[in-house]
Amino acid sequence: MMSKVCHSAIRVENLAKSYGGFRALHGIGFEVQRGEVFGFLGPNGAGKTTAIRCMLDLIRPSSGLLRIAGLDPQRDPVAVRSRCGYLPGELRLDENITANAALRFFRHLRGGDSACRRRAEALSERLELNTALKIKNLSKGNKQKIGIVAAFMHEPELLLLDEPTSGLDPLVQQTVMELVAEAQQGGATVFFSSHVLTEVQAVAGRVAIIRDGRVVEVATTSDLSARGTVEVRVAFADPVILEKAQLAGLAGVELIHSDDDGRFIQLAVTGKMDALVKWLAGYPVASLETRQCGLEQAFHAHYGSEQEPAGRH
Amino acid sequence: MASFWTIFRFSSWRLRWTVLGWGIPLMLLGLITTPFYDLVAENERQLRPVIQSLKPLVKSFIGGKEAEEIFTPEGFLALRYFAFLPIILGMFASVAGSGMLASDEERGILDFLLAHPAGRAPVFFGRLLALCAALVAILGLGWIGLWCGVWRADSLHFPPGQILLPYVSVLAVSTFFMTLALALSMMMPSRVTAAMTTGFIVLAGEIITSLAKAITQLEAAARFSPLTYFQAHAMRGLHIKPVLGLLAFALLFSWLAWIGFQRRDIRVAGDGGWKFPFPARRKKGHF
Repeated sequence: MMSKVCHSAIRVENLAKSYGGFRALHGIGFEVQRGEVFGFLGPNGAGKTTAIRCMLDLIRPSSGLLRIAGLDPQRDPVAVRSRCGYLPGELRLDENITANAALRFFRHLRGGDSACRRRAEALSERLELNTALKIKNLSKGNKQKIGIVAAFMHEPELLLLDEPTSGLDPLVQQTVMELVAEAQQGGATVFFSSHVLTEVQAVAGRVAIIRDGRVVEVATTSDLSARGTVEVRVAFADPVILEKAQLAGLAGVELIHSDDDGRFIQLAVTGKMDALVKWLAGYPVASLETRQCGLEQAFHAHYGSEQEPAGRH
Repeated sequence: MASFWTIFRFSSWRLRWTVLGWGIPLMLLGLITTPFYDLVAENERQLRPVIQSLKPLVKSFIGGKEAEEIFTPEGFLALRYFAFLPIILGMFASVAGSGMLASDEERGILDFLLAHPAGRAPVFFGRLLALCAALVAILGLGWIGLWCGVWRADSLHFPPGQILLPYVSVLAVSTFFMTLALALSMMMPSRVTAAMTTGFIVLAGEIITSLAKAITQLEAAARFSPLTYFQAHAMRGLHIKPVLGLLAFALLFSWLAWIGFQRRDIRVAGDGGWKFPFPARRKKGHF
């Protein structure tokens, strides 16, 4: 029991939360180990933000057990928050102050040491954030950058990122991913909530999929990826006449689509690619593109036709 | 404790424009009002019969039985300056008290603030102290303006300390309304409803207190109006008991607000309804 407490960055057991008659969380449970990047995947309204806000004692669970670094957020909220860096998807700040004043205030709440200030300056520079401007004059993406700096500036042992790339341009999204990777290398645990499949797949070692306030699956991303198929897109240099009967004979290969002019095919491959590659060797292949569909498939399997995922491809 | 002072300093700094926005007009009101006493004193012989001839109901709106005291320097300041302050500051208190936490909560600012290592106690008491300090600063600016006016006027001769006494009573009444608005904002579904309710209590209290000076049947109801315990004539001597009574209620309201804030789920848009929970109007899947 002791080792469980010591090794878990986050431990959630039967966590339930109701708002009046509405049940946002139906007794969810999972455990996040120290030093791992854990993806929390679900569409909007699934309960991701509610779970994170319970972890920070912003809202109180109706029942269940919650431990952050072995601490109960309801008993020691300040101790929990001092170990965490939090970035909400929709960051709201006092609009009438400058970014610099906001960051100074947050830094002072964290004790205001000079190392924290230097790191905040370095992060602002890296994210190309003009801290002299008033927040009301900043774009949504730039406001989100203030949140990124505030979340990372004190090098927390646990990062709670709730859809952190929302509103950011692709370059800054990439920087956030790099910061997540750097934080993990530095020994931090990252709890990464998102409805964007590709970014979770890129950073997370394990994933919990949440649906309607219930965790429906917890698995490693590699497991989920291996479980699924690989989408293969092949473009030919010259028009070809495919031996479709031969293709159908290849184990685990299914033809999804082929162009009428014989220049492009799309295949779904389950298992090893060896037979397909050897078969393609007989054709003038111009390009070959593959994409793992594991996490996306798992997501679709759990959400079915009810809800389209908002993944960016 | 460090986060308490950080929040107090930051909240005070955020309130600087509010202090100036309310304090400077109050200062000007003092400067503008005082020269009129010389005019009133000069025209006492013509004005006194007019006031005496007024019907009690009309007279109740210019001080009732005390209306003729306008010809004394203390009475003039009480009726033409201090009598307005509980209404003006009551409005400020309604807006500022209800917005102390609920405004930032509704805008989603409180959510991110409380994700930092600041307990709810430093946030609550740091902000409350900053708001009280802002109220004192506004009254301080008002006092400076009035004292400058008195200093310039020919017929008004008061030491600054004597002018300060009614402000103590204004402070007590304003703190009462401010903490009432704060407590209501922790109980009601939105900041606006808390501000509106407190504003209504301020205005209804003023009307009842004024009318009670003419209609004796309202005297019993006026006992429940906080403005009945306001001492516009405190320059003649401040009664400490009503001041302490109002402050005791302010403490009670602060305590109720603190209990509400401690137990509260900090909400952001989408986390819960802002309307009264009428079950019949609720649709499945919405909350």
